[in-house]
Amino acid sequence: MAWKFERVAGPFQGPANGVVWDGSGAIFSLMEDMRLLRYDPKTKEAKELRKYTNRVNGLAYGRGGELLGCQEGGRRLVEFASDGRMFKVDALLDGKYHNHPCDLAVDKAGRIWFSDPHSATLAFGPQIFPALDHASVLRLEKNERNAWAMKRVTFDTKAPRAILLSADEKTLYVSENPARADDKRELRAYALREDGSVGDYAVLLTFGADRRGPHRGIEGLCKDANGNVYACGGSRASGAGPLIYVFNADHNLIGAHPFAGDAPNRCCFGGADGKTLFVTTGDGCLYAGMPEK
Amino acid sequence: MKAPGIDEITGEDPPLDMIAHGLVFGEGPVWDKRKKRLLFTEIIGDSIWEYTPGVGVKRLIHPSSHANGLTFDHEGRVLVAGWSKRTIWRIEPDGTLVDIASRYDGKKLNSPNDIIVRSDGLIYWTDSAGGLVIPGMPGEDLQRYLDVQGVYCMTPDGTVHLAIADCHYPNGLAFSTDEKVLYVNESRLGIIRSFDVKSDGSVGPGRLFHTMQGTEGGVADGMKVDVKDNVYCTGPGGIHIIDKGGKLLGRLRVPGHCTNLAWGDDDWRSLYITTFHDVVRTRLQIPGVAVW
Repeated sequence: MAWKFERVAGPFQGPANGVVWDGSGAIFSLMEDMRLLRYDPKTKEAKELRKYTNRVNGLAYGRGGELLGCQEGGRRLVEFASDGRMFKVDALLDGKYHNHPCDLAVDKAGRIWFSDPHSATLAFGPQIFPALDHASVLRLEKNERNAWAMKRVTFDTKAPRAILLSADEKTLYVSENPARADDKRELRAYALREDGSVGDYAVLLTFGADRRGPHRGIEGLCKDANGNVYACGGSRASGAGPLIYVFNADHNLIGAHPFAGDAPNRCCFGGADGKTLFVTTGDGCLYAGMPEK
Repeated sequence: MKAPGIDEITGEDPPLDMIAHGLVFGEGPVWDKRKKRLLFTEIIGDSIWEYTPGVGVKRLIHPSSHANGLTFDHEGRVLVAGWSKRTIWRIEPDGTLVDIASRYDGKKLNSPNDIIVRSDGLIYWTDSAGGLVIPGMPGEDLQRYLDVQGVYCMTPDGTVHLAIADCHYPNGLAFSTDEKVLYVNESRLGIIRSFDVKSDGSVGPGRLFHTMQGTEGGVADGMKVDVKDNVYCTGPGGIHIIDKGGKLLGRLRVPGHCTNLAWGDDDWRSLYITTFHDVVRTRLQIPGVAVW
């Protein structure tokens, strides 16, 4: 069944990035414009929710309903409190500052999994802390003193970006998305062990390159109520174009839908029935899509 | 080639003594003339330190809420540009820490950066927003509320006035010797501006005083003035010495990324310089403007 996508907000200044459904509206981040906006389907308006976010990319809710964001510019995760404040939610990894968090997922235990690629855009201010010598999926979890502690999850990634936990939390989906044409761009499904470590991964998608350049890989992941995984990526610049891929829980591709906008970045389900797919784009827009009737 | 006049300031071969080493973002040096010691901050190290010549270095306050610039008021109390605490705070004689300013127009300050006191007691500070975003120095609340990164002036009644609104990223600030001119630098623009100061503490429109030169590490950050009205500003490669007409006389080359500077010792001819990781000292021929 074909999907129909409609641009519902934008274009705004710079790309649109992380997006999350808050129960009645879609909150999305304009990373370079350093703002969060909220799109209300009832009014069909996007209004400013927060300024001075310092380059927040991925958004997700914590187990307590707190809005969390990957603050690439500050090399940390943050919480956007409902009273307007912003808190650091982070820890060092073996005494070192991690890179630039990009996307995140929260599990049922409240642990925060996030991708931590390097970034061509440096953190603000003096570069006191060098980047890690790896770019991995990391995990924040509370220690015995109820303080955040950091663990490294992947040891075989170069540029992890979008991440997602399956509904049963037995699979960690990771888009490995290096920019160089001769590096592999893949959508991987890692088997998760009981202890939170990852086992072997299956490759669900591989992206190559052509004379126009490397094919843009997966930038956004989300799942529907049935546990199907939606992956958005690609661009008009090269390859097959912007697409939304759909996989069932067994990792079988069950659909690939052309996307109306360009360079889809992040996606989430929302709307009154939870069946509208919201997608942000590299050209600063928010799209809403659903199967055509 | 040296500019005319530079030898009268530096002498032929100014020394460079290591005072403290192993810091993580040294800043905020100020000389305490009463106790004959240097105070300085370590922003990421979250401390305020003292250095007493002949004795050594001792940590005074930890944690410091990532304190930044320091100065003294006219009662000899330490005033702190509370970078991540987002307040101006004071160390009372009994050691109590007291916030004296925290908001403008009902909104939390950004992150007070550096601070000076005029001879009549007015307190000026820069309020750039770097403390909210730079890794390694997070405060309790990282949200920025003010749309300006300004220079503020607090009058003795405790009122906070926005003295300069049209800043980009104000950092170091210093008065001319007669306090009729306020110099404010802009780290990200690499410039120093000068403002005429009125008796009520307000300032006139800014003029471009100097554009920083050099490609080495270092930016316009801490800034001080000597008794002959030369301006000393951190910048690429070290400390830039600029005459009162805005002309660069020369640079004191300092290893590391300089962050701030302070005159000190009894004759006010020692120049203490903080860098990301050290505090160093040189001796100059002209005294600096005394603090307190």
